Amino acid sequence: MASFLLRTRTLSKSPLCIKWCSPSISTTAVRNTEPQIKNDIALLNPEEIEHKKKLQNYITVEGTTDISPITGIPEDYIKERRVRIYEPPKNCMQSGTNNIGNWEMEFDTKERWENPLMGWCSTGDPLSNMKVQFSSKEEAVEYCEKNGWQYFIQESKLDKKFKPKSYGVNFSWNKRTSFN
Amino acid sequence: MASSQSVKRVVKEVKPILSLDREEARQRVLNLYKAWHRQLSYIVKQYDIPKNQEQCRQKLREQFTKYDEIKDIRLIDMLVIKGQMELKEVVNMWKQKGHIMTYFKDTVEPKPQDFLSKFLSGKD
Repeated sequence: MASFLLRTRTLSKSPLCIKWCSPSISTTAVRNTEPQIKNDIALLNPEEIEHKKKLQNYITVEGTTDISPITGIPEDYIKERRVRIYEPPKNCMQSGTNNIGNWEMEFDTKERWENPLMGWCSTGDPLSNMKVQFSSKEEAVEYCEKNGWQYFIQESKLDKKFKPKSYGVNFSWNKRTSFN
Repeated sequence: MASSQSVKRVVKEVKPILSLDREEARQRVLNLYKAWHRQLSYIVKQYDIPKNQEQCRQKLREQFTKYDEIKDIRLIDMLVIKGQMELKEVVNMWKQKGHIMTYFKDTVEPKPQDFLSKFLSGKD
């Protein structure tokens, strides 16, 4: 309703406005129709333009890609270290299970020492506290393979089956649970 | 415990960086190699390193053949870009003598390989 009112108002005003607006409108219209020439394209050969266009499309790459040569991570870290992929367990101090069910990766431990000044724990390993979370095991594996790290998967050992319990089972006629 | 590092043969559609095919990527690598090769005599002179041109040539070749197993065109392009950047750093004297000498790794002590030397060095 409000927009309709506005429109009628502008329409009613328009005969007055036209004189004011018309020159500016015309110039913008002309400016829009002008072809935009970019210098970098104008200076290229036809083959180069073709190449540039093709770069917008896709190419096919065979095999898995190991990006370790270009990540800048030192070679020693890639060759010597091993990644553990695991499912973090539920916090045993709490019964809530909200933040579990994801997969994590972490690197093996390197040497640690007691800091002589304060007695704190020190390490020279920048990856010691790195934990990366994934929603599935496969994602973690893919990430490790992409980065060229050795890995092993640590499956969680607990496979306790859920046993439904009910009071009514005690009185069932066909199970051996009835006690009367 | 150790899982098999699976080797898959998959063909992916990806965005190119600089080159569209292997031949073009190869040409870029060769161009970069030639540019470095031409610069070597100046490097030896300007940086005053205790290496001669022949040793530099060998090192250059080693640095390039290190990556000869890479098949991915994007990776090759990226390495060429990085090599180009480093060449620029060398030519403009943004690097110093020590940076050039790190390619040769003269001062890097070899890591202990066998059990006893690992034990004696106190590292794993």
